[in-house]
Amino acid sequence: MYHPRDIIETIAGNLRATRNPFGIPHFMVNRWWGRSKLPRQGDALLFTGLMYQFIPYIEKSTGYLSRYEDTPLSRYVGYTRYVPSYLSGLGLAMITPRREKQKMNGILNNIVRVLNASRVDFYYRPELDHYSGILLYDLGDRDTFVTHARWLADRLKKAGVRKLITVDPHTTYALKELFPKYTGSRFEVHPYFEMIQLKGGNNGRRTVALHDPCFYGRYLGLSDVPAKALAELGIDCAELERSGAYTHCCGGPAESVSPRLADDVGRRRLAQLEGTGAPIVAMCPICLGNLRKLGADVRDLSSVLVETLS
Amino acid sequence: MTMLNPDFAEELKQFSEDSALACFNCGTCAAICPLIDSHFPRSMIRYVQIGAKERILEAATELWKCLHCGLCTQTCPREANPGEIILGLKRLVLDHWRKS
Repeated sequence: MYHPRDIIETIAGNLRATRNPFGIPHFMVNRWWGRSKLPRQGDALLFTGLMYQFIPYIEKSTGYLSRYEDTPLSRYVGYTRYVPSYLSGLGLAMITPRREKQKMNGILNNIVRVLNASRVDFYYRPELDHYSGILLYDLGDRDTFVTHARWLADRLKKAGVRKLITVDPHTTYALKELFPKYTGSRFEVHPYFEMIQLKGGNNGRRTVALHDPCFYGRYLGLSDVPAKALAELGIDCAELERSGAYTHCCGGPAESVSPRLADDVGRRRLAQLEGTGAPIVAMCPICLGNLRKLGADVRDLSSVLVETLS
Repeated sequence: MTMLNPDFAEELKQFSEDSALACFNCGTCAAICPLIDSHFPRSMIRYVQIGAKERILEAATELWKCLHCGLCTQTCPREANPGEIILGLKRLVLDHWRKS
């Protein structure tokens, strides 16, 4: 296990300096929309919160953390907070494989296709799409989270944003529950699967093992929404030993302080999911990344939904 | 020997919900917690109840093993909200580290 203070101060320093927990410049992280012709005005702002975009960088950095955890070299992690944020961020961006970034960008483009097929009136403005700061809240650094959240809420309010479509549970929770409490700003927040209206599906009836993330299953009580959307498309969700309000954590939240612990918890969840014999589907980038790291063949919900369109 | 701090509950209020005294230490939280090899978060809640701030600071890094998954809060029969108390303890410890 790494000393939590080393991890927190590194992330907090990066967020303060660059608005990004890794210190990577915004234009380098948020490139998924480049080839999409998305409107800049509409009813609801598509807000990715950059979580899917971060997964390749999380995988790369936790790969190193995993290698040195509980070794004599682990103490040097404490010095990373003294490295200028942009420098460490650029370094991480350079060593992170492009194909992994493209995979995650593909998920966001799939979400756009699903929203378009459902005739949802949405728009996208990349300059408004920023990280919510949720990891620092979870790590106990409420002060840095609140400062960042106020900055972001202010930007969104000044741009006239009222309604947001989110793509992951962590950002959804931050915007829906924490922003009103800590910034005083209230937005109408919907995860994308609440907005979709798809029917039919042409692949016959099939079953998937849908992993409920803790924030959708427990904190926000939304697990039944994606399950119903899948059922409309002829896709059933296998009965799991732990789901909904009692879902089992994927282990991902521990990966910054203890990759070993994240693996241990993740393996237990993976065994439950694999026990169904059905293909595994995730709807959270953290869960997706952590279960994949354990060697599981996991697909994102958006990939399954988009398949039914063709 | 551990020094007990009777004002600890008051100190914790600025970082966390004031719900620790609702806990009757049944252990449901420890039984459901994915950290299966320890008495987490039950032991930490007990330390809060008796004002054993020193014990919490000694074992402080353990708090960050908490995944913030919320299963303990979901299943607590006393609605003591153990998950939020642990989050509050993280805030308190981080504040302590930053000031020391």
